[in-house]
Amino acid sequence: METSFALTGKGYVIIAADTTAARSIVKMKVDEDKIKELSSHLLMSYSGEPGDTIQFAEYVERNIRLYQIRNLYPLRPAAAAAWIRRSLAESLRSRHPYSVNLLLGGYDIADHKPNLYWIDYLGTVVELPFAAHGYGSYFALSLLDRYHNPEASLEEGLATLKRCIEEVAKRLIVSPDRFKVKVVDKDGTREVEL
Amino acid sequence: MNSLIQRYAGSSAASQQRRNVSTVDDDDEFSDAMWGSEAGFGSLAKGVPSFMVPSVPDPAAFLRLHTDDHADPSCKIKIQHGTTTLAFRFQGGVIVAVDSRATAGSYVASGTVKKVIEINPYLLGTMAGGAADCQYWETYLGMHCRLHELRNRERISVSAASKYLSNLVYSYKGMGLSMGTMICGWDKTGPALFYVDSDGTRLKGDLFSVGSGSTFAYGVLDQGYRWDLTDEEAQELGRRSIYAAGHRDAFSGNTCNLYHVKEHGWDFIGNYDITTLHYDGPGNVSGSPGHGYGYEIRVEGQTSANPPEVVAQA
Amino acid sequence: MSVMEYNGGSVIAMVGKDCVAIASDLRLGNQALGITSNFQRVFPVTNRLYIGLPGLGTDVTTLRERFRYRVNMYTIKEERDIQPETFAHLVSSTLYEHRFGPYFIEPVIAGLSKAPSGGFKPFIAATDLIGCLNFAKDFVVAGTASAKLFGVAEGLWEPDLEPEDLFETISQTLLNAVDRDAFSGWGAVVHVITKDQVVTRTLKGRMD
Repeated sequence: METSFALTGKGYVIIAADTTAARSIVKMKVDEDKIKELSSHLLMSYSGEPGDTIQFAEYVERNIRLYQIRNLYPLRPAAAAAWIRRSLAESLRSRHPYSVNLLLGGYDIADHKPNLYWIDYLGTVVELPFAAHGYGSYFALSLLDRYHNPEASLEEGLATLKRCIEEVAKRLIVSPDRFKVKVVDKDGTREVEL
Repeated sequence: MNSLIQRYAGSSAASQQRRNVSTVDDDDEFSDAMWGSEAGFGSLAKGVPSFMVPSVPDPAAFLRLHTDDHADPSCKIKIQHGTTTLAFRFQGGVIVAVDSRATAGSYVASGTVKKVIEINPYLLGTMAGGAADCQYWETYLGMHCRLHELRNRERISVSAASKYLSNLVYSYKGMGLSMGTMICGWDKTGPALFYVDSDGTRLKGDLFSVGSGSTFAYGVLDQGYRWDLTDEEAQELGRRSIYAAGHRDAFSGNTCNLYHVKEHGWDFIGNYDITTLHYDGPGNVSGSPGHGYGYEIRVEGQTSANPPEVVAQA
Repeated sequence: MSVMEYNGGSVIAMVGKDCVAIASDLRLGNQALGITSNFQRVFPVTNRLYIGLPGLGTDVTTLRERFRYRVNMYTIKEERDIQPETFAHLVSSTLYEHRFGPYFIEPVIAGLSKAPSGGFKPFIAATDLIGCLNFAKDFVVAGTASAKLFGVAEGLWEPDLEPEDLFETISQTLLNAVDRDAFSGWGAVVHVITKDQVVTRTLKGRMD
């Protein structure tokens, strides 16, 4: 089952997404990167209907890039979230809606705050200190209610993420075995190994 | 489509059952008085004593049609569901913790349900699924545990008691019984815990959680569980896990009932309001974190903002 | 499961003596799973007019944006604030425009309208999801707890409540009604609108 987690800490957002691309009962790929770097300080994980996910993520990626080319400055995380939300909300009432759930994590270099947005395929947006999509959320959210620390260092944040991944591995029937983890902070985006 | 064919085809099991039911109905024309005293055995003409069954082709399907409110929220009969229950074994016994909410659809029908059934002074059962099913059969189980004691001059083992219940509900499989229960107690083998459900599953284990909020409880429980937990730590873990489920799951909440099974039997530890736990914590009890369990309460005043340190101006 | 119950949430508005109040819970869920306890669904339209948008979360945001746009256009054209009656009809026609593919929202409107004499008159209204207006003299309710809100409000509301008493009445009505609804709750926010100020208070509610 597709699962993604994200959490904020002191000056960063961590996003983790599983790496399996499944079709029917078959794993087609086990090292798929489902987190896009939208701009220097913006990450987006995507999951949902196969096909829709990549199409929509690339559409977002190109438009965010276009904005930056036209205006010299990239969209701030809140503005990017609003634009993505509107795209999904308009798509929802079209003939062929995108079924894509997103976690948008960004570091706002203007006010030095990490921002995390939980976005579902309907276009519902909520800003949260930690978030999850997929069946993993039923295990991870209560765990994060208990262990998440908004002032945690990156090491502590990664340790908390590890708890989530281990919990899902322990309890979810068909649990993903590998996660790709990316971090965004004042220095930009980068991938980290757990 | 298959079920339709089955219901109306003459040779199907369902129609066989319909014929059986109507035979029983015919017998109802004779009053009990005609047979004199039945000595507690019931009229053998009616066959083995059994429950009243709706006289429709397939009683189980009939019940399912009118009670399954996941498929059909507008159905006439809403069986109370939605629960979080948990129990775990550790060095100091068994901790049993449950919530107290009963919902019918989105309506919170009660916030004061007793979901721990005190079968006898050393056996506890938990309630998830059909409230009436759990209450009735676990009380019935208590009766048979007592009979076992009288017959054998020793207490029934938790294993035997749970096996009795498991066999009992299995004999009703497919009839619409709905229960997911944990039988907890202390016997010659020490602390014991079994999961029994209406499918007929019976599992021995160290840690279980059952109900719509069980995933949330597991999230906290698994992370804090160790065999060598102290009594206070274990009670706190049970309480904190039920809070987690009560908070996140719409169908769980209101209060948490906490029990601790020890060698001398079970102790009722307390009843805790989930909202009080959220804002203020469990109060002055050992193992308490000293503040509310709620995330917003725990991290109040903290921020993820990371402004560069301001260089002192000359 | 119904789309109207997918995210949960409820809104109520009440009339008092020269004042109105509008209140909402703060839960946004994904069916049974609670996502956030800080989801605002009541928004200011003018200094004396508020709208509550219970229903599908995505449409709360979409409609808020739409109404803000249309009210701004109105204000620029007319060079005056929109009156509650006018706004209610704007809401109604905006929703009816989507008659065959509606927004899953049942708006609640509360405000003070300018009387010809120069004073202010309390105004509340609600519509269904395709814009059928319902003007009430006492209270209006909407959302997943609407049935429960009706029951409590029928018992607690009385005519000509002063702002402080109206606050108490609407708060108790909302808090107690959402405690009987699995999909509403997780805190609440109350706005009491009088002719010279709006008092907004966030209430602690049951968190389960």
